[in-house]
Amino acid sequence: MNKEGTLYTIIFVFIVSFAFVFLLSLTNQATIGRVELNQELARQRAVLTALGIEAEGAEEIQEEYATVAADAEAGLYAARVDGRVVYARRFAGAGLWGTIEGVLAVTADLSEIVGIEIVSDNETPGLGGRINEPWFKEQFRGERIDGGGIVIGQTDGEGDPDRSNSLVDGITGATRTSDAMESIVNGELETLRRSDIRETFSALMKGDDA
Amino acid sequence: MSDAVDTRPGAILRNNLWNNNPIFMQILGICSALAVTNLLTNTAIMTIGVTLVTGFSSLTVSLIKKLMPRKVRMIVQTLIIAFYVIIVDLVLKAFLPEVSRNLGPYVGLIITNCIIMGRAEAFAQSNGPIASFWDGITSGLGYMGVLMVIAVFRELLGFGTLFGYQIMPASFVPWTIMVMPPSAFFLLGLIIWAGKTAMSKGGQPA
Repeated sequence: MNKEGTLYTIIFVFIVSFAFVFLLSLTNQATIGRVELNQELARQRAVLTALGIEAEGAEEIQEEYATVAADAEAGLYAARVDGRVVYARRFAGAGLWGTIEGVLAVTADLSEIVGIEIVSDNETPGLGGRINEPWFKEQFRGERIDGGGIVIGQTDGEGDPDRSNSLVDGITGATRTSDAMESIVNGELETLRRSDIRETFSALMKGDDA
Repeated sequence: MSDAVDTRPGAILRNNLWNNNPIFMQILGICSALAVTNLLTNTAIMTIGVTLVTGFSSLTVSLIKKLMPRKVRMIVQTLIIAFYVIIVDLVLKAFLPEVSRNLGPYVGLIITNCIIMGRAEAFAQSNGPIASFWDGITSGLGYMGVLMVIAVFRELLGFGTLFGYQIMPASFVPWTIMVMPPSAFFLLGLIIWAGKTAMSKGGQPA
């Protein structure tokens, strides 16, 4: 058969495409279980971290996650952590380049933030992407919620250690990501105040105690 | 590029690592040199991925080159490259989820790295499988070498760390510019300058 002919070319491309796509699907099948497990663990771990529960390694994460009362469909989580009732909700909001997804946890009386964890984002690596760094997220731990919400602004230095001022240090060079985080968190706090959400939370807690 | 291609392993190694380095002599693969070099760990994983993809794509292209009709060879090369890149992406997602998350879309973008297609087209298309594989791997290493040097400077000055370990004293003020892509341009320019100067001193035409 003529190697440069149309028929040969079509058959060649067909066979090559088929072979490579077939091998890819095999690889995909072989790894999909692990990939999904990793994603599930990352989600569970994010919820635990936001709630302030420490867990390392797959087994510990699953063990601790089992103690959390969860409505995974609605993305609502409730748990008793160190004697306090803590509520958490999965959120998704607009960042600078794309959606920022994460989990925000607050005390049951909405007086302070328990923690925040970012699950995924598309912010600029090294700038807005620093919302993933511990120094940024740890600022939210125990931060008092004042009236409307919190402010992400400028303080002197890396991080704002004052837990009572409802102020979190923003990221230098990533003002728009910092602003986006502020409106996401405050929008979330607004949602967490809604009565239907609060009812679901109390139902979750009751179900857990029973 | 050199006139007659010397296919001895040592010559290929020297050529790809230095004389004909994909980054500072051929100026290929610059986009990723800017994008992934602000943290050493990410750079290392990314360049290992590129090295493996280049090696195996060249090997595969060389193996089926005799069967390949000329008019579809670019399409088939792209298909082969995409195949290996997706494999790398899947393996990272399954076994190194943390790194996969950090690199995000850049792994998929290895497909567009001109070095891989350049080697497939310039070398693997006309040489045997073993030599092509070696050529791909060493081209990847040449790319890795330059990117790692850039990453060392960017991470050290931009974050004060190396591989995530704090190196600079606490009083060190990070250079925000080093975190951003333009700094890679400056560093790359300096590296090309240094490389070409060294080369012309060595008596080789730069």
